[in-house]
Amino acid sequence: MPFAFEKHFDEYVVAALFDSADEPVAALGDGRVVFPDADATFEAHPNGGILSAAIHPSGVGIVTGGDDGRVVWTTKESGPVELFAAKGAWFDALAVSDAALLIAAAAGKKVHVYDAQKKTAVIFEHTSSLSDITFDAKGRKLYAATYNGVAVWFSRIAQQKPTLLKWAGSHTQIAISPDDKFVMTAMQENALHGWRISDAKDMRMGGYPAKIKSMGFFAKGKLLATSGANGAVVWPFLKANGPMGEEASEINAEESTMVSVVAGAPEDTLLAAGLEDGRVWLAELQSTGIDWIRREKGAPITALAISNEANRLIFGDEDGNLWVYEAE
Amino acid sequence: MADTAASVARTPVTVLTGYLGAGKTTLLNRILSENHGQKYAVIVNEFGEIGIDNDLIVGADEEVFEMNNGCVCCTVRGDLIRILSGLMKRKGRFDAIIVETTGLADPGPVAQTFFVDEEVKARTYLDSVTALVDAKHFRSALETDRVVKEQIAFADHVILNKTDLATPEELNEVEARIRGLNPLATIERAERSGVEIKSLLNQHRFDLDKMESVANHHEHGPDCGDHCDHDHGHDHHHDHGHHHHGHNPAHGEPGHVHDEHCGHDHHDHDHHHAHGHLNPIHDNEIRSVSLSSEAPVDGVRFTKWLDKLLAEKGQDILRAKGILSIKGEEKRLVFQAVHMILEGELQQPWKEGEHRLSRAVFIGRHLDEAALRAGFEACIAA
Repeated sequence: MPFAFEKHFDEYVVAALFDSADEPVAALGDGRVVFPDADATFEAHPNGGILSAAIHPSGVGIVTGGDDGRVVWTTKESGPVELFAAKGAWFDALAVSDAALLIAAAAGKKVHVYDAQKKTAVIFEHTSSLSDITFDAKGRKLYAATYNGVAVWFSRIAQQKPTLLKWAGSHTQIAISPDDKFVMTAMQENALHGWRISDAKDMRMGGYPAKIKSMGFFAKGKLLATSGANGAVVWPFLKANGPMGEEASEINAEESTMVSVVAGAPEDTLLAAGLEDGRVWLAELQSTGIDWIRREKGAPITALAISNEANRLIFGDEDGNLWVYEAE
Repeated sequence: MADTAASVARTPVTVLTGYLGAGKTTLLNRILSENHGQKYAVIVNEFGEIGIDNDLIVGADEEVFEMNNGCVCCTVRGDLIRILSGLMKRKGRFDAIIVETTGLADPGPVAQTFFVDEEVKARTYLDSVTALVDAKHFRSALETDRVVKEQIAFADHVILNKTDLATPEELNEVEARIRGLNPLATIERAERSGVEIKSLLNQHRFDLDKMESVANHHEHGPDCGDHCDHDHGHDHHHDHGHHHHGHNPAHGEPGHVHDEHCGHDHHDHDHHHAHGHLNPIHDNEIRSVSLSSEAPVDGVRFTKWLDKLLAEKGQDILRAKGILSIKGEEKRLVFQAVHMILEGELQQPWKEGEHRLSRAVFIGRHLDEAALRAGFEACIAA
C-alpha cells in the first residue's frame, strides 16, 4: 500500500485528524504535535502529555488538552500557543464548534467553554466527572456525558442550571447527530444509549461484546459508526425515529480481534476502522468491498480519520507509529 | 481481546488505604522523594497534602459508580477508569501506579475497578491492597468507623505504623485484632511509615499464580497448644447468632463460641508458622471462615456452589481465596473473589508427593460459618 507518510515516534498516538484544508495532523502522548505533510513536529506540551485533541474551530491547526493543565493551539505556521490553563487539571475531553468559534475542554467535574474570538471562558461545574463533551450543530448548546446521563448547557451563559437527559450508569462517549435530533452515548456496560432530543425519549442498544471507545456520525449524519465489536457497528438514522426499531449492521467482522477506532467520511458512505491487532480497513458501504489499508499486524490502532475529500486516511497506533495513506 | 493486547506488559497498581492519620501522606511523600530506582505515578485524593511537586501526581475525585449489570455490589471508581486510561498514554514514564484512597473510603469499588473494566484489566493489574494502621489509635478508630474494619479485611498487606508510639502490649493487641479481621494479610511493623518502598510492589496478591498465602497462612489448630506457649484465651466478645455451639467442646470451655480456627481443621501441622503466635481477636461483624478438605473436591459441584454463594452473599463477602484439589484433575483449581467478582482457573499441577489439601478462605460480614462449612463439605467428591 502506498503510504505518503510513515514514521515511528515511540509515543502513543492520541489523535489523528485532518483540518479544514485537509492538512493531516496528529497529537502524541508525550505532548508533541506532528504535521506529516510538512514533516514538522512541535512541543505543544513540553513537560506534559496530550490527553485530547480537536481541530481548531477556525479550521486551521489542532487544539490539544494536556495533563499539564493547559489547552494549546498549534498551527504549522506559528507553532504552539496556549489558549487557557487551570492548575492541576487533566483536560481529557475536548469539543469545538466551528459555527460558534467555541472550544470546550473538560477536566474532572468542570468544563471550560472558551470563546476563540473574545478569548474568554465560562466554566460549568457538574456533580460527577465528565467523560466526553460535544456541541450541537450551531454551537448553541454543549452536551456533557457524565454519570447517570447527559448535562445540556447553553454554551455562552455563565450562570445557569443544566437540563439533564437521565439514564442510570456511566456514559463514556458522546455524539450528536448533525441535524441535532439525537444524542447518543456509549456506556460503561458495553451498550449504546440514545435520546431523541425533541421528547427525551430513550433508546437502548445493547449486545456489544466490548466497551465502545470510538463512535461518530458520518455520511451526512445518516449513519452512526461505533467500535466495541469484532466489526464496525453501523446504525441507520434515516427515519424520524432514528435507529429505533432498526437493526445495526456489523461491517467486516474479524473473529480474531476487535475494532478499536472508527472514522467515517463526513459526506460519504465511506467507513474506515482501525483494529486492536494493528490492521486498518476501508469500506464503501454501498458496495460490498473491503480494502485493507494496512494488512500487517501490530500495536492497537488508537487514532484514525478520513479527509474531507475522502481521498486520504491518517492513523496511528499505541506504539507511536503514524501513517498517512493516499488513494491512488 | 486482541492477541497483541495480551503481549503488552501490564502495569502494577498498589492501592493504599488506611484511616485518617494512619500515615498515608508520609508514605506517599517518601515514595515521591526517595531515590529508590522506581518511577511511580501516584493518584491521590487530595492534591494539597503531598508536599512534593511532581508531574506524575494526579488528583482523583473518588467517584463510585454503580454498574447496570444486575450485580448490586458491582461498584467501580469511575474517575479511576478515566485517569488510568490517561496514564496509559504516557507509557514508559513510570514503572508502577499507586492509588491512594481517602481514609473514609470503602476499598471495594477501587479493587473492583481492576476486574470490571476490560480496558483497565488489559493494561494494569491490581498488585496489592496495602492498608496502613495507626498502632496507637487503631482501637478507637475501629470503634468510630466501620470502614476501618473493611480496609483491614480487604488488605493483602497491612503496615502497622507508628509502632514507636504504642506499647508492646498495645501492638500485640492491634496485631491480634488485625489477624482476627483478616488471617490472610501479611503484617509489617513500621515507624513513621518506614517500610521498604520496593516491598510495596510486585506482591502479586491478586495473581492466581501466586496464591501460596492461602495454603501457607497460619492456622491455629486445636492442638496448637501442645506446641505453643501462648494460651488459647480467645477474646470472647462475639455475639454470634449462629447455632453451631455443638461443635465446640474442643477447648472445654462452656460457652466457647468457636471461630473457624478451632476444632474443625486438619491436624497435620504442615503449615508454616509465619507470624508470632498471637491469637486473633475476633470481630463480631467482620470475620473469616477457613475451610479445608483432605479429600478431593468435585469441581462441578464446587463451582456451582461458589457461584451461587457469591451471587447470594457477595455483598457481604469482601474477599475470598482458595486452592483446591479437584477429583480426577492433576492441576490445582485456584480462585479469588472480590464481592461477586470471581476469578478462577486451573493452575500448575500438584507436585509429586505434595500434600493435596483443598483450602478456601472467606472474609466477610456476618458470615454463617455453619452454612459455609456445610456447603463446602457437600462439594467433597464421593
